[in-house]
Amino acid sequence: MEQKQKKKSIQRPLFRKILMKSGLAFLSMAPLLLGVIGLVGLFQVLVTPRMLASLFRDNPLFDTLIGTLSGAAGTGNPMVSYVIGGEMLGQGVSLYAVSALILSWVTLGFIQLPAEVEVFGGRFTLYRNLLAFFFTMLIAVLTTLTVQALL
Amino acid sequence: MKKEDKPFAFRGKYIFLTVFILYVILFLVGNEKVMQALQKSGGILMKILPILVVVILLTALFNYFLRPKQIAKHLGHESGYKAWMWSLTAGVVSHGPMYAWYPLLEDLRGHGMRDGLIAVFFASRTIKIPLLPIMIDYFGWVFTLILTLYVLISAIIQGLLLELFDT
Repeated sequence: MEQKQKKKSIQRPLFRKILMKSGLAFLSMAPLLLGVIGLVGLFQVLVTPRMLASLFRDNPLFDTLIGTLSGAAGTGNPMVSYVIGGEMLGQGVSLYAVSALILSWVTLGFIQLPAEVEVFGGRFTLYRNLLAFFFTMLIAVLTTLTVQALL
Repeated sequence: MKKEDKPFAFRGKYIFLTVFILYVILFLVGNEKVMQALQKSGGILMKILPILVVVILLTALFNYFLRPKQIAKHLGHESGYKAWMWSLTAGVVSHGPMYAWYPLLEDLRGHGMRDGLIAVFFASRTIKIPLLPIMIDYFGWVFTLILTLYVLISAIIQGLLLELFDT
């Protein structure tokens, strides 16, 4: 029994050591994270919600595409996308565009692309982002059509 | 054979350098918004610091309680539907920006987590439980309910498709 316990304690490394290893792994990513954060700050100041809203026309497919692209360019808390989306709806922008913007705001991001490639590799990043892009457009269209059918 | 630890090296140096140069150029051409952007970035960093601490702790806890073989069993190619559900739930409950979760996911991936599960995690992050009341307030409960349903279903499909294409 004692021998078993001893063996177990030998097999499992100290938590402090593992925590330090995790901390170091995070520290090695610091330039990557700081670079992305710096870009996010720059975008938040240079790209205003009004600039985003001015891009839309009255075409469902075009608006869905622009909504997806502006969401991917936008950054920050998802709540910001709700506020922008709410303002856009008030200005007469279609629900297609607003849904696409809300979705791509979180799942797509031009700014974090270089970091995603660095961490997960180009192949994974390409497939994931292409799928996220396609499904954002699809869900935006499906959600709008379903809401319109129900209300 | 014991797996050798990778030597410590900073990652994303060129990304950091590019952004740094961008700030310097904007500052030199007299763009007033540089200071505002710096302040914004500082604010973002302060906001996500607690999340990063949680990520470091979670990574350490995973590594302490789960052996690489166990991670591979629960999140690897032999994992079943539970792994997909866990990934979906983790995506919904995770807070902060996507890039804050890169270190943990990279670590789990290094221990055998399948790529499809990472795609599910990222895809389901649109749904944020604490923000649902705000979404309902802005767009109505019908919109919120339908969007949530479609996002959850599509997250699983995206994970499956990613594995189909990426093999």
